[in-house]
Amino acid sequence: MKRNTPLLTLLAGTLVAVGLFGASSLAVSSASSTAESAAETPPAAVASPSASPAPGAAADAPAAPSPSAASAAAAPAAKVTAVWAGHTDGGAASIAISAKNGVVVAYVCDGKREIWLQGTAEAGQLSLTGAKGAKLVGTFGGGKAKGTVTSGSVRYTFTAPAVSKPSGLYRAAAQVRNATVVGGWIYLSDGTQVGVVTIDGTPSTAPPIDPATGAVTVNGTTITAAYVDGELS
Amino acid sequence: MSLLSAPPEPATTRPARAAAALVPIAIGAAVSVGLGFYGSVHPATGIAVGIAGFSSLVWVKVWTATAAAVLAVVQLVTARMMWMPTSGAWVAPVHRWSGRLAFLFTLPVMVHCLYSIGFSTFDLRSLVHSVLGCFFFGAFTAKMLILPKKDLPGWVLPVIGGLVFTALVGLWATSSAYMFATEGIRF
Repeated sequence: MKRNTPLLTLLAGTLVAVGLFGASSLAVSSASSTAESAAETPPAAVASPSASPAPGAAADAPAAPSPSAASAAAAPAAKVTAVWAGHTDGGAASIAISAKNGVVVAYVCDGKREIWLQGTAEAGQLSLTGAKGAKLVGTFGGGKAKGTVTSGSVRYTFTAPAVSKPSGLYRAAAQVRNATVVGGWIYLSDGTQVGVVTIDGTPSTAPPIDPATGAVTVNGTTITAAYVDGELS
Repeated sequence: MSLLSAPPEPATTRPARAAAALVPIAIGAAVSVGLGFYGSVHPATGIAVGIAGFSSLVWVKVWTATAAAVLAVVQLVTARMMWMPTSGAWVAPVHRWSGRLAFLFTLPVMVHCLYSIGFSTFDLRSLVHSVLGCFFFGAFTAKMLILPKKDLPGWVLPVIGGLVFTALVGLWATSSAYMFATEGIRF
């Protein structure tokens, strides 16, 4: 008995780990993750009632068909609501893709330069365009989005997992001391974030936002970055 | 011969030397591979249970991993002392309990990494961290299973203990130290 205390340590550790896994899965089922994965599968996006209590981007999924509630059931179109975020292949930049009812905003940022793109997500296909001929072509499904972003001579490939708030894309647009400030941030589920703030057309590395509130101090003034859920305000 | 008449444990003496460590090592390897497999196939949820008092889960992990790394240094020192000819009676209990505590600290980090993030390969740091994480729990399992075996060569425990220590320090360097270096000291 006494001799095998290491085995007890192992068993106790296993029990603790199993308990933590259980607690985590409870946390997930009560949060938006299930809704998100459900929303990502086009037919389930409308049908799934579990999407309704979600606080994140997925929360609006059931609200989408409400203007045409009668036709919504008949046309379970690919109105995808989901957020994917991750590093580009090789880790040089981060990418966040935010889809709301099939309307998509994507942001690619390496801390120095940024690319904003807008487009659609339908039937598993992502198709977005941005300024100066920037393009994003990709696919989504199975909890991830993958594809290619090109802008001028820059080319990124990516495979980004589905994430939920606070992970995802943040954007701020404000006037600070007569300067136009536009900032974009990608907050990843490992806690890392990257962002660029453009002041009167000049981009530079953005100070980090507080993911809880979106607050960030630019040039001594605190502005609030909003969580982007598919449409640019 | 009925089962009831059999002795509870077959009291076979094992002349085998280092070979006795093979089964624990095999089990440890299975743990490592199993964790890596789970981390690869389980979709990252981005969500896990948190602890109050920290700004975000990531900082909970940073500090619990740091606590485990500090205890790992205690492990190294007390382990070295146990192999000296004379050492205090307190050394072995301190080694055991600091080890248990360090193991306890690593568990929430492991669960969050596996459940919320998964096996990551997007850059060298995350790849090294993922591999080391799976290796660590396998090596720890092997060490726990090897400990009760008294008939092993003297070098077995130091080697496996050293591997466990090295893995944990590597894990800390590729996570907590990285966060301190890039984000500063936060809570």
